[in-house]
Amino acid sequence: MATIPNLNTLRSGRGGPRRRGGGRGGLSSDGELDERESEAARDRVVQQTDNDASSSRLSAIELGYLDDEFSQQLWPQGQNVPKRYPIINRGTYVRTKAVDKLVALFLESEPQQRKQIVSLGAGSDTRFFRFWKQGLLHSSGVNYHELDFEANVNQKRHMTRTSPGLSDHVKQAEKAGSLYSLHAIDLRDLTKKSPPPVPGLDPELPTLILSECCLCYLPPDLASSVLQYFTMNIKSSLAMIVYEPIRPFDAFGKTMVSNLASRGIHLQTLKRYSSLEAQRQRMRLAGLKGGQGARDVYDLWESDVWVPGDERRRVEGLEWLDEVEEWQLLASHYCVAWGWTGEIFEKAWGMLEGGQTAAETKHDDMGP
Amino acid sequence: MSDLDKSIAQLRACRPIPETQVRELCYKARELLIEEGNVVCVDAPVTICGDIHGQFHDLMELFRVGGDVPETCYLFMGDFVDRGFYSLESFLLLLCLKVRYPDRITLIRGNHESRQITTVYGFYDECLRKYGSANVWRYCCEVFDYLALGALIIGATTELTPTDAPIIDTNTQAPNPVDHSDLEIEILNSSGHIINRFARPPESSSNSQDLSQLSNAPSSPSQGQTPTRNGNPGTGATSSSGGSSGNSTGAVLCVHGGLSPLVDSIDKIRLLDRKQEVPHEGAMCDLLWSDPDEIEGWGLSPRGAGFLFGADIVKCFNQKNDLSLICRAHQLVMEGFKEMFDNTIVTVWSAPNYCYRCGNVAAILELGEDGSNAGYAPRTNGDVGRVAAMAGGGPLAEQRQEQRMGPGRRYRVFEAAPQDSRGMPAKKPVADYFL
Repeated sequence: MATIPNLNTLRSGRGGPRRRGGGRGGLSSDGELDERESEAARDRVVQQTDNDASSSRLSAIELGYLDDEFSQQLWPQGQNVPKRYPIINRGTYVRTKAVDKLVALFLESEPQQRKQIVSLGAGSDTRFFRFWKQGLLHSSGVNYHELDFEANVNQKRHMTRTSPGLSDHVKQAEKAGSLYSLHAIDLRDLTKKSPPPVPGLDPELPTLILSECCLCYLPPDLASSVLQYFTMNIKSSLAMIVYEPIRPFDAFGKTMVSNLASRGIHLQTLKRYSSLEAQRQRMRLAGLKGGQGARDVYDLWESDVWVPGDERRRVEGLEWLDEVEEWQLLASHYCVAWGWTGEIFEKAWGMLEGGQTAAETKHDDMGP
Repeated sequence: MSDLDKSIAQLRACRPIPETQVRELCYKARELLIEEGNVVCVDAPVTICGDIHGQFHDLMELFRVGGDVPETCYLFMGDFVDRGFYSLESFLLLLCLKVRYPDRITLIRGNHESRQITTVYGFYDECLRKYGSANVWRYCCEVFDYLALGALIIGATTELTPTDAPIIDTNTQAPNPVDHSDLEIEILNSSGHIINRFARPPESSSNSQDLSQLSNAPSSPSQGQTPTRNGNPGTGATSSSGGSSGNSTGAVLCVHGGLSPLVDSIDKIRLLDRKQEVPHEGAMCDLLWSDPDEIEGWGLSPRGAGFLFGADIVKCFNQKNDLSLICRAHQLVMEGFKEMFDNTIVTVWSAPNYCYRCGNVAAILELGEDGSNAGYAPRTNGDVGRVAAMAGGGPLAEQRQEQRMGPGRRYRVFEAAPQDSRGMPAKKPVADYFL
């Protein structure tokens, strides 16, 4: 979160805590860390991106962008919720709604069919609880898996057990035949020769894989291998939704890459999946040959299919958004991409327009 | 060294001044600003700047590139505060300079100079953080209410003396060869080297000029043949207008946002009651919030305030008010500036790498002085009725049916100041992304 630095701590010669920011990942200034330690430090930075995502979500909820009573319960007590700028709130809104829509279409397709959702790097995501409350998980039962680093999973497990608002929902859902499982699995382990089993993962169920800003932190080959793990193991219909940054080669994109790098965040797949078409191609290559779609967040916001007109007007009315040009820039550097194989997904998503557009080609002409 | 000079020195080092000094400064500034009309008259030469948004180190870079106050005469078109981390230091420095050199710097109001917007976009929080109370924010907001709504630049020359500097070699595409006497636009980088040059179009109708979307992007349209006119400067022989008005240009209106459907003449701006918070609608709001757009007539603004206006609106307004150009800010342009509608309006943006995130360059616009000083007498602030005298009927008006020849324009383009520039500590700012 953008915070205003306290000038007094920055004045030279006073020995203020000038290196506070660097201490976060446990790096010591002598620079003598062995490879394992520095890798652990890098992992912690990635784990902490969830804090960013969930505080953005809370800011958007507080202002009425999103209706989500559960995020607050997953937020550490006593911690202030930082207020985000309107464009961040709007982006959080669009991203959440777009992924929600795709997931809901899947759940509503062939209502009697039991289904499976695997959320990679789910962090403090609340989709399971929200969808349970909305009744979207009721009809047929869903195996809902969330995979994340052990630290993130332990925290969430603790919260979902101790917060009555959350644990009640899990119990009710289980009684009704849905399964909510948290797995402490490092995704990189799935790419090993003998990967650990994901308990309760049913290879016979139509399965939807979610990756919201998750696989992009892995080296490109590992990210593909993680997908491969699921395409190899799931025998039924399979689909994937990805939400990630794109377009790293223009001025905004370059600045984004370097700004995040200075926080220790490396978007490792960004150059490989740099455009909407590259994202579609990625789905194709992963074997999701039934169909592929991709839209940037700005297109999603402007489209009545994804954000109905009256809903857009409602959201526009929530805050005075003066950053029109910046919104356009920021929102065109994130995308939602989806791909599938199998009839249940064809029925769910076949009608959605996600193919290449003329405007998009113009945008993506810019090479590295 | 006077107290004011001490404050300036302290602020230049990006250190806030004590609350009591802020109060005194704001009081003095208000006394000064209250004497200004809604539309301040400014004589060329002047350097026009767009949004600053609290990017203090980039403001210092702007002064390095454009020259310091008081040597260079500046006009800032608002949005001094919000978004950046040093709104306080940036605005107070500009205000100090205003009080110290009132004739060398003009500040007009932007849509962020408002109580409501500053509570959303950072200036309020910054004041609270740096002083522990909202008093300083309150003093500043009172000054905001007194800032002029626009400025009218008079006595700018159509001529542009070519810069004697090397031409930077970008991809072997040499700048257009221009006959020096016909130079209309020159684009320089922060080292003063020439990025590009554009000549006036061959014919007197500047409408034919293919510069409808000029910016310093590599794809800028290039100029065709340039004519040879070798008259002495100031004799009229170099001018492609009627030749009777010397080489002076029509006036240049500067305003933060743009035009308003409620304002068809500059006199109407002069009649507004500006000493208030920026209203949610009405002429004053529109002047600070509107944007030009590729539409006909007026349109709804995606910002929720102000309007969109098309080329027809601008051309009609300029003709009626005897203007050769409207300068405005308000919109981020990646190349720092953008001319639209056959060079009748330009957006100038002076916050490089806006919000430490956008990766854009910034620009300032220099207008030179018309040495011959023909045709225009300086006017005092708040002088109502000027346009009626100039264009309200008579033979002169008929001759002026076509677009006034624009002033010679020198853009200086610059990038964000490096971190830790000038030995001043600057925490690497953290921009927001979706993670």
